[in-house]
Amino acid sequence: MDFVFPNELNVTWTVMIVLYPYITGLVAGAFIVSSLYHVFGRYELKAVARFSLASAFVFLLFAPLPLVIHLGQPQRAFNIMITPNFTSAMAGFGFIYTAYLIVVVLEIWFVMRSSFIERAKGTGLISFFCRAILLFNLYEDEATQRADQKIAKFLAGLGIPMACLLHGYVGFLFGSLKANPWWSTPLMFVIFVFSAIVSGISVLIFHYLLVSRLNGWKIDQPCVRSMARYLWGFMIVAVSLELLELMSIAYKQTEEWEVLGMLIREKLFVSYVVLQYLVFSLVPFILLGINSLFTLRDRLANVMIWIAAMMLLVQVLLMRWNVVVGGQLVSKSMRGFTSYFPGVWEKEGLAVALVIFTLPFGILWLFHKIVPLFPDVEKYQD
Amino acid sequence: MTKVPEPGSYRHTIRLFLLLGAVLVIALVVRSLLVPDSFGVLGHFRLDAIEEARQSVLRHMEQDVCQDCHDDVVGLHAKDAHAKVSCETCHGPGAFHVAAEGEEGIHLPEGQRPCLVCHELILSRPGDFPQIIPEDHYRFVGVREFTTPCTACHDPHEPLFMDRDLRTARLHPLIHRCRDCHAGRFDETLARPEEHPPIFQCEYCHVQIAADFAQRPHRQVRCTTCHLFFRESDSSGRILRDADPRFCLLCHRDADFRSDEAPPSIEWPDHRDDMAETEGDLQKQCIDCHQDHIHPLKVKTAAVAGSGSEE
Amino acid sequence: MTVEFKNSRRQMLKLLAAGSGLLVFPIGSLVASERKPTADGKYIPYWAYAVDTTRCIGCCACMRACRDENDVPEGVFRTWVERYRVDRDGEVKVDVATGNDHVFEPVEGEVNRAFFVPKLCNHCAKSVCNQVCPVGAAFNTPDGVVLVDQAHCIGCGYCVQACPYGSRFINPDKHVADKCTFCYHRITQGMAPACVLTCPRDARLFGDLNDPKSRLNVLLRQRPYRLLKPEMGTHPECYYLGLDREVV
Repeated sequence: MDFVFPNELNVTWTVMIVLYPYITGLVAGAFIVSSLYHVFGRYELKAVARFSLASAFVFLLFAPLPLVIHLGQPQRAFNIMITPNFTSAMAGFGFIYTAYLIVVVLEIWFVMRSSFIERAKGTGLISFFCRAILLFNLYEDEATQRADQKIAKFLAGLGIPMACLLHGYVGFLFGSLKANPWWSTPLMFVIFVFSAIVSGISVLIFHYLLVSRLNGWKIDQPCVRSMARYLWGFMIVAVSLELLELMSIAYKQTEEWEVLGMLIREKLFVSYVVLQYLVFSLVPFILLGINSLFTLRDRLANVMIWIAAMMLLVQVLLMRWNVVVGGQLVSKSMRGFTSYFPGVWEKEGLAVALVIFTLPFGILWLFHKIVPLFPDVEKYQD
Repeated sequence: MTKVPEPGSYRHTIRLFLLLGAVLVIALVVRSLLVPDSFGVLGHFRLDAIEEARQSVLRHMEQDVCQDCHDDVVGLHAKDAHAKVSCETCHGPGAFHVAAEGEEGIHLPEGQRPCLVCHELILSRPGDFPQIIPEDHYRFVGVREFTTPCTACHDPHEPLFMDRDLRTARLHPLIHRCRDCHAGRFDETLARPEEHPPIFQCEYCHVQIAADFAQRPHRQVRCTTCHLFFRESDSSGRILRDADPRFCLLCHRDADFRSDEAPPSIEWPDHRDDMAETEGDLQKQCIDCHQDHIHPLKVKTAAVAGSGSEE
Repeated sequence: MTVEFKNSRRQMLKLLAAGSGLLVFPIGSLVASERKPTADGKYIPYWAYAVDTTRCIGCCACMRACRDENDVPEGVFRTWVERYRVDRDGEVKVDVATGNDHVFEPVEGEVNRAFFVPKLCNHCAKSVCNQVCPVGAAFNTPDGVVLVDQAHCIGCGYCVQACPYGSRFINPDKHVADKCTFCYHRITQGMAPACVLTCPRDARLFGDLNDPKSRLNVLLRQRPYRLLKPEMGTHPECYYLGLDREVV
């Protein structure tokens, strides 16, 4: 059992393609939290509403970066918008991404207009920058603020299906490929959407608690507990769907099970069975479950929630890895496996991946310098 | 809450949406300008790509091109066992050689490797394909050094010195070798088990010849070594009774690479010239004189090897 | 070998000259996978391929010829030959001579059955690669060949993932998708693909399905054949004569 087709020796979709759905997942999840506040009236999330919207925006900016790095001809990247082939799920990327980016940018404009106006009143480069963003119209009164809120709410509602589409199409991209037995399932779209939401909420919790702790801010406890409950709920759905998919192929045991079972038992045993499920799903499930069912002291609860959020961030990354790379390890001859581990310094290597993942946090910090993202600790209007 | 929400003022959004609209319009215009010219004519692709695919450089020619300059070699080649092997299979791509009218060379295979690539015994090869284990073959034909190139005996354009074109050779029912079904090594010491499915062996039909042959000096040589059989279908093929002296000389020509266990060897045509007593004798072939060493033959003329079946 | 080709070459050249004129002008009613000649009567062949696995000896002359003819870089393959060994327990071992000189070394061992299977792009009539290319760089020509528009391809690799047969790859020199083209530059001039030309055993055959008298059509009527992974619904146009059940 060691034969792969000769062209399969090299893995085509590398860690960059693992990173791309991960980042769009963070976008989708962060946006959902923001919309929970703006559309569904979950007012306990007010503390992170603005921050989650900014997070969604910043991660969205970086989402195409791993793709462009991966492309063989990145200078032709716009071909997907010039001559899109709409039978291909990938062709949707250009339009969905652009439309969604416009929605998020518009929503930020309307949600944070008051803050931009305040920052624009002054001198210096940043003030000019804010004036330019406002299109040099600094007028505001109660009426405009009401209009802003209405439009923001509309955009937040419009953005929810778009966020689901932005991340779900990636799932469909994998799930619709009949040639690959590990990827081919109708559940893939839904699995990706729900695990995206999990990762988005996790990154918000992780980031919010970390930043608050580092800056000595008072943590909005109802907000954190609410997010933790949502996280627990979405996490249950996401992991259940993943397990359902696994159980389905393990039970049916059609022809491809011989090689997929070997994939799970041997090649992916550590990253899939041990890490993704036993460690990084089960433990957060318990931690978040305890917090959702019982009321613990704030400090203890925050520590448990923070650890759970961090572990779920890793879980979702592992899930992306196991799907993207795992699917390419199996040969289409059903007779063997290839292997892959990214180099550190190559073009599509670990160093570049690390930079792509950490840069957005830096940009968020810059964003916060321009417009305050945490209304609880600094003056805000929303 | 029963309070009617107060109306908002949207005037400050005009600039924004105008800008957005302008950007979208510009994007659409730019997009339509950037679509390649021949796109969408026959389908969702660039039609020019078809023409571009046709412009790739030719590297291989075709067999009849070689004939224009090398018709002597091609003529020999077309009549012998390698007739269906195109020139470029062994010599590599020839387009540049042809374009330079021979000024630029073509690959000339050397050594054993180019022959063994096809003719080395590999289990997965069809049993009816001529394959050898080099050491065994060299031992059998009496060559001392296993690195002696194949071309010391076999002309690659006339490897078997077939005395007639295969297409005119006699049809014959399928001859099986053990390897045809058993993809393992042919073991001559194995006795045929009783429940083995019936397969044709030469002695079933050619009883007397086989019995007689078993007492002659060539008895350890298989019938199909000299009676070359080429399979054509699942039930039949063509058989050759190769009487060209150069074929016999593949084993029996004296050379310095012969081993001590080699079959009896002679110089050619010295041997025939020495033995000739008349003018006609100079046209004789090995089988004309050496039937005792082989088996009784009916020959019409020296040049045409046998016709009609023997009993 | 090109026996079938030599006989109809002159006719083919004439028809192709007419057919290529046709390709320049829009004929919007033509569906790429249509096998019959077009409504205005100009003849377009429909190219297909057959592999006779009972005849292949695994010499890999085809692999070397393809690499020479099409400048295929080392480490990637437009065509290859698989060696199957089924041992007495029914266990199947498969390998490919991927080394630089593409030569199979004899391997010891007791086998029940063993054979060679040449593989190449199947030029599917309903190819998945065409469906998933986001920019329209993968397409079927009217004469039944699946090509890559290497000037338009962005190198995303989706087609490589989508091909059920492992026929596609990203060219490491050109950084775009690449695969067997049936030697389009040769067949449009009435020559045979390089692999068909150099196969010493007539194990690879090529011809026009639209011509009822072509050797390919005659062979497909006479001998049973199988397609690779027919359950994928890709309608491959590469017919495997005498294919064993172990081949995927």
